[in-house]
Amino acid sequence: MATTRDPLATRALVERTAAPEGGEAVASRGIWRVILDVFLQNRLAVVGVGIVVFFLLFCFVGPLIYRTTQVVTNLTLIHLAPSSQHLLGTDADGYDELGRLMVGGQTSLEVGLAAAVVATLWGTLWGAVAGFVGGAVDAVMMRIVDSVLAIPPIFLLLFLATAFTPSVSMLIFVVAFVSWVIPARLVRGESLSLRSRDFILAVRGMGSRDRRLVLRHILPNAVGPMIVYATFAVADAILLVAALSFLGLGIPPPAANWGEMLSNGLNYIADGWWWLVYPAGLCIVLVVVAFNFIGDALRDAVEVRLQRR
Amino acid sequence: MTEAQRVECTSLLRVDGLKTEIRQRHATIRAIDGVSFSVAQGETVGLVGESGSGKTMTGLSIIGLLPPGGRVVGGRILFLGQDLARLPARAMRAVRGSGIGVVFQDPMTSLNPCMTIGDQIVEPIRAHRESDRKAARRRALELLDLVGVPQAKERLKDYPHQLSGGLRQRVMIAIALSCDPKLLIADEPTTALDVTIQSEILELLGRLKAALSMSMLLITHDLGVIAGHADRVIVMYAGRIVEEANASELFAQTRHPYTGALLASIPEVDEGTDRVLYSIPGVPPDLSQDRQGCAFAPRCDRATGRCEVDDPQLEGCADHSAACFNPLTTEEGSGRSPMHAVAVEPRRPPPSSADKRAPLLVVDHVVKTYPVTTGVLRRRIGAVNAVSDVSFTMTQGETLGLVGESGCGKTTLGKMIVALERPDAGSIVFDGIDLTKQSNRATRTMRRNFQLIFQDPYSSLDPRMRVGPALREPMVINAIGNGVSRDRRITELLGDVGLSKEAVRYYPHEFSGGQRQRIGFARALTLSPRLIVADEPVSALDVSIRSQLLNLIKRLQEAHELTYLVISHDLSVVRYLADRIGVMYLGKLVEIGTCEQVYGRPAHPYTAGLLAAVPIPDPARERAKRRIPVNGELPSARNPPSGCRFRTRCPRAQERCTVEEPVLQAVSGTDHQAACHFPLVATDVGKSAQRDGSRAFGSDGA
Amino acid sequence: MFAYLVRRVGQAMAVVIGVSIIVFFLMHLLPGGERALLGARATPVQVHAFVVANGLNHPIWVQYVDYMGQLLHGNLGYSYHYNESVNSLLAANIPKSALLVGVSVVIALLIALPLGVIQAVRRNSPVDYVFTGASFVGYSMPVFWLGIVLIGWFALDLHWFPAEAPQGAGVGAAFSQPRAMVLPVATLVVVNVALFSRYVRSAALDNLVQDYIRTARAKGIPERVVLLRHMLRNSLIPVVTILGLSMPFIFSGALIVESVFNYPGMGLLFWNAAQIHDYPILVGGTLVVSTAAVVGSLLADLAYAALDPRVRYV
Repeated sequence: MATTRDPLATRALVERTAAPEGGEAVASRGIWRVILDVFLQNRLAVVGVGIVVFFLLFCFVGPLIYRTTQVVTNLTLIHLAPSSQHLLGTDADGYDELGRLMVGGQTSLEVGLAAAVVATLWGTLWGAVAGFVGGAVDAVMMRIVDSVLAIPPIFLLLFLATAFTPSVSMLIFVVAFVSWVIPARLVRGESLSLRSRDFILAVRGMGSRDRRLVLRHILPNAVGPMIVYATFAVADAILLVAALSFLGLGIPPPAANWGEMLSNGLNYIADGWWWLVYPAGLCIVLVVVAFNFIGDALRDAVEVRLQRR
Repeated sequence: MTEAQRVECTSLLRVDGLKTEIRQRHATIRAIDGVSFSVAQGETVGLVGESGSGKTMTGLSIIGLLPPGGRVVGGRILFLGQDLARLPARAMRAVRGSGIGVVFQDPMTSLNPCMTIGDQIVEPIRAHRESDRKAARRRALELLDLVGVPQAKERLKDYPHQLSGGLRQRVMIAIALSCDPKLLIADEPTTALDVTIQSEILELLGRLKAALSMSMLLITHDLGVIAGHADRVIVMYAGRIVEEANASELFAQTRHPYTGALLASIPEVDEGTDRVLYSIPGVPPDLSQDRQGCAFAPRCDRATGRCEVDDPQLEGCADHSAACFNPLTTEEGSGRSPMHAVAVEPRRPPPSSADKRAPLLVVDHVVKTYPVTTGVLRRRIGAVNAVSDVSFTMTQGETLGLVGESGCGKTTLGKMIVALERPDAGSIVFDGIDLTKQSNRATRTMRRNFQLIFQDPYSSLDPRMRVGPALREPMVINAIGNGVSRDRRITELLGDVGLSKEAVRYYPHEFSGGQRQRIGFARALTLSPRLIVADEPVSALDVSIRSQLLNLIKRLQEAHELTYLVISHDLSVVRYLADRIGVMYLGKLVEIGTCEQVYGRPAHPYTAGLLAAVPIPDPARERAKRRIPVNGELPSARNPPSGCRFRTRCPRAQERCTVEEPVLQAVSGTDHQAACHFPLVATDVGKSAQRDGSRAFGSDGA
Repeated sequence: MFAYLVRRVGQAMAVVIGVSIIVFFLMHLLPGGERALLGARATPVQVHAFVVANGLNHPIWVQYVDYMGQLLHGNLGYSYHYNESVNSLLAANIPKSALLVGVSVVIALLIALPLGVIQAVRRNSPVDYVFTGASFVGYSMPVFWLGIVLIGWFALDLHWFPAEAPQGAGVGAAFSQPRAMVLPVATLVVVNVALFSRYVRSAALDNLVQDYIRTARAKGIPERVVLLRHMLRNSLIPVVTILGLSMPFIFSGALIVESVFNYPGMGLLFWNAAQIHDYPILVGGTLVVSTAAVVGSLLADLAYAALDPRVRYV
């Protein structure tokens, strides 16, 4: 059979109009620009970023400007009310409360961020392996996840905390240990749903190996939800650390963190020493709210990227 | 309905200068921009247009159910003397469901999944009519009978998920009719349904409309549906009415170039493959931008300077008006496809199947079943027979069309042919190599020879990958060429599919559906495959974009010496593209032959019924068409009927069909085979189809 | 339906076994496990005797099988600190915790359901912003801080309610001092309302844009009926599921509330045990609480099936 091949004839149709027959793409900004755009439109998210930036400066730059000693106790200065000397008063050990908020915030933020990152990375790895290997391995791995998930986090934390001598790195490990299961479930679900998408089938149909599918297509598409999760995880981790401190299983003094300060201050609620009760609590609430705002807006923004249909 | 008659009836609904806006995140869409029309008592008005034309928004504006952000910003909607646009919420509720009933597009999502059918029908009755529970229940039963739901009494206690799509749409109709509305708004009532079910539902709507002396506003994108069921037709484009006329007048004497172009872009089920389909260049306008002049001007080949500046108004008599400065002349506008003259081009002769070359693809007794499991141990309780003993062959360079309704196994078959699924039994031999016997590694290296094109252009491209890398990827995977030669190839292929080479810099979401489908073709072609399996390649696209793609598909075949397997539920699309056609029903291939044979002299009753069910965009032929019923609903693929699987819906079924499974056998000539004990012969039904067909070819010469 | 139930119960049992394995192995991997069991002052001889008596010199999987055997006989171990079996300790404390959690979850649901629906219906209105903001704050507050602040205001300043929860054993104590129950319950309610109302809001938002809501409106029935009969029930389906999955978090909150208000329940017992390293209580308590959480999500699934006919008639 002789196929008529006349490229000019087919071209003629194309070139009847100056523009290509299919028309041009409508340039929208890049995906990250779109995400950023939607994100910035969410005023709460902008507020959240503002709060986080403020606290980062407050905790890490603040001590350089507002110099206080947070190592040596000074028993002549205990329980002073706020004054020009001590803007937020002093606590039971004579530490300057404002200065302690700054130093304590360092620990809270560090532990929160690190635990969230460790939990998200480990969970992502776990979920991805379960999702791709499938079969019995998947079943066993996911039953482990289900089991850890069934243990109420505070109970598990207490259990672990009794066994380990508290330190910053231990705290990160312990908090990460109770939080990695949620991202593991998310990633597995995400990869299962991505696996059946047409574009994955298309790449498979070109002869791609699984490794390429995972690295080039599935993981990049799962990154968005993971970033969103990690943001929420920071908030949860800060709360968990605070709770652990309240339960008396935090890092021992003189190291400080907001949870510790708060739970110490709570002993004095009956004495009307408000500066020991509210500032630390407010710091925790503000930072946690901020991360939740950011997470919420990120989730909307990540979903929006495919909206134009 | 004649002009005199229409004046006699008072108009039931008058829409006057309606303007509706939808506020979105970044922009305000002027969805409807000054639309006026009326619907007379007892009249069916068809509202037709592509997506974004404002047809659906018009319907939703009338009943006041616009989506979030939507708002009527101007004009009046007069219904029985009330202006619905300004009615307080409470009074509007009294109109909804009582004065105006609505049937929405998707029966799968339009019913509450947590409520029984009975409760859902009773609800409006009790809100507007009967306060007595028992009486309302009786009325619901009556309604279910009326809309043809079998065993209505038992169905009342069923939940929506227990019913098929067709039955659910009947329930929707029962709800809409529950309080004897004066006006029924049917918004794409059959778009989500199979073609045989579609024709039943449309017929039902027509019958009920007459019996209950209602008026109907039939909103659809399908000119064939309009041709068969509307008295008067309103064509919308970009939020405005571009043409309005009596149905017969519109199709016989088209005035607006857009209507003409639309009619010319539809491939017809009774029309051969020997012409290039007319296609409207470009894409519809962005409705959030200010408009100047005629919205269609940028895509119109009759546009003059004036069209870009001035706004054309609807002009003409009450029977027929169009908004165009350069309407089609009587000469141009008559004839079935007014724009034929523009683009008729000789087509390549289809490869003759008598061509004695070794077949490229041999599908031999292929079976695929999916297990249905239950219980703790996932015990197998049954199996869905997705594909059941299908055999056919394809030669190099031909196009085989595979048609069938949902659940017939055509998609599964397509996936097996490109080795994305493995058959349970049988063999698929591609160019002498049995794919079912290859190792995974060998299959991977074979893959470049056959590629799949997907239905949904939105999900077939990785949203995170720019078009450039996406097109380069297949060559990288298969280690073809180097950087320079790959880029050259990409530029070349983008040109072939009608995109500029700039496309490589963009992400998929920056392209329209039609453009993405072009990219899909370019990606498939990077590997120079020999066979392309296209699964519903154009069904997600609008009519005007669809014809562009159909022509592209044909053009690519010539340029790249491709063999196509085109899978579609749309018989006219397949007819336009294919040389040979296979018809599938419930996992079985029931008929196969050349286009002329299958469409001209269908031998299997199912094929005949399917063909008869396809609406033709020509009122005269559509209404004269003989109905060949395909009764009832599709049986479950888990328990297919014994013997012939079609027998439960077949008008010719006899005792023998129950016990003996028919096999494919030659009916007329060796190429034309059907699996039926009592195949139709030319004298039965072929005659009427043939008559239509010959007329079609006759008028083609115009 | 029956098959679904059986499968679901099977899964739940697998999870409980998984929990027992994790808890058991964690305990035995911990440094100085047996010493911890006996207390730090135990002599090496005592430890050895204990090890042999309790089969701790056997391979770990044998120990696990032994332990499970004990568990299946309903024996959770023995607390050397309280000199009482873990069973009886838990039996004494669980009912009070169940009361606390039960009452506050019910009240929280009664508040969160209408609240979430109002937020969804009035989306992006001031009402929505205020409640959404409030639920964000409620969700972001350390539970113990909230409890203490409530004590500060309502017990110390206003003297409306006592600062300490009802003492005394048994559920009866709670009923005899209803005023003392107010603050602990209120704390948990605030936390749970913040949690639930976010779920309700998003479920309601998802459902409001569904086609069947449009169908319901097209029938001309009052908006109130559309919301209550059509949207609410469909929104409950995802909410119930999430509720089931939230059980571990609700229990965590309860533990903290019990510590703050000195409410003598399971959580307080567990906390005290953690401070004195009383492992039998920690292990037994974790197992029981996790099982309760698993049963909770099982019940949620049953409620799901009752709400959703698509599950019921498979």
